[in-house]
Amino acid sequence: MAGVDVGGGGGKGGRKSLDSEVNMIPFIDLLMVTIAFLLITAVWSTMSRLNADAQVPGPPRPDVEQEKVEPEKQLHVEMRSTEKFVLIWKQGGTVVSTVDVPRKDDTRSEGSTRVIRYPDLAAKIEAEWKTVGQHRDASDKKFDQAVLHTDNETPYSNIIGVIDAVYQAKRPYNTGKKAENVPAFNVTFSVN
Amino acid sequence: MPIHEPGRRLMHNVGLKFVEKKVTGHGNRPTNAGLSLTSMIDFLIVVVVFLLMTFSASGETPITKGVNLPKAENTLDMIDAPMVSITGSQILVDGSAAGNTRAIEDSKRLQRVDELFNLLKAKREQWKQLHPGKDFPGVVVLQIDQDVQAVVVKSVFQTAAFAGFPNVSFMVNSLPKTKHE
Repeated sequence: MAGVDVGGGGGKGGRKSLDSEVNMIPFIDLLMVTIAFLLITAVWSTMSRLNADAQVPGPPRPDVEQEKVEPEKQLHVEMRSTEKFVLIWKQGGTVVSTVDVPRKDDTRSEGSTRVIRYPDLAAKIEAEWKTVGQHRDASDKKFDQAVLHTDNETPYSNIIGVIDAVYQAKRPYNTGKKAENVPAFNVTFSVN
Repeated sequence: MPIHEPGRRLMHNVGLKFVEKKVTGHGNRPTNAGLSLTSMIDFLIVVVVFLLMTFSASGETPITKGVNLPKAENTLDMIDAPMVSITGSQILVDGSAAGNTRAIEDSKRLQRVDELFNLLKAKREQWKQLHPGKDFPGVVVLQIDQDVQAVVVKSVFQTAAFAGFPNVSFMVNSLPKTKHE
């Protein structure tokens, strides 16, 4: 059997030895049971989430005088066409710039799941944010806003593909002690 | 019960020479292989450590039957929040029925789902009673089947916002992260 030497061995006659022995059979049994328990309770599929913000304004305060704030630029992602995406930067009702991105659905099947990705759109949105995006500093608590325009029949998997592309643009964000890379945009839906 | 003297035993009293020959391998390679205890224990400990590191005490997020989640790469960690599931035909809030998607798909226009609205509003009130004086986070997780139409997604999204849950998260399966230049 294996032994554990805890020092001070070889005491004078009659003294109990400080060496103690570990019985290997229950030790291996314990390891096996632990492995079996951890394997049974293991979670192999990893779930995660994509965030979206409904941008609900707070209730109006008639007692407080409203400050005139210049509206921020928002990126509108138009995905109604099957040929192209249209990226429109708007400031209030004014169109600042428009870019067309040819629509190339990178579709593949993984089991029963259909994975749809738009790498060209993701790259273009990232480039657009780097030139037009307003909230880039790690200490800035606000995020640039992306508004998704889709028709009513579009499958959900395509919407997730576009949201995933929008979230590829990352910016540093101070979360207490350190700056983390987080998505540069907040996504919301257009109601029309 | 009387105690008998033990009878003849295999290998001891009963020869079974051919088995003994096979096992010990006279001249041939023995069929018994030795196993190093130290290596085996090292291996077991490494496996235990790996499994402990990947162990999640919170357990698996339950997925509603009939929901096939899409996959995405740029995701955030899951949070604990009320779960709205949308299958091909049903809307459920934490497993309780909260509407039908067929009516929304047939009307082809954005609309408020009243049952969902009432259930979510009740959940909000319940949270406020349980946490007096605290700000309501307004977070809801949507578990939507990949083939559900956008009109249903937008209707549920809007209903959740009206019910006091403006912070909506879409539950997805994680794709491995790729490096972007």
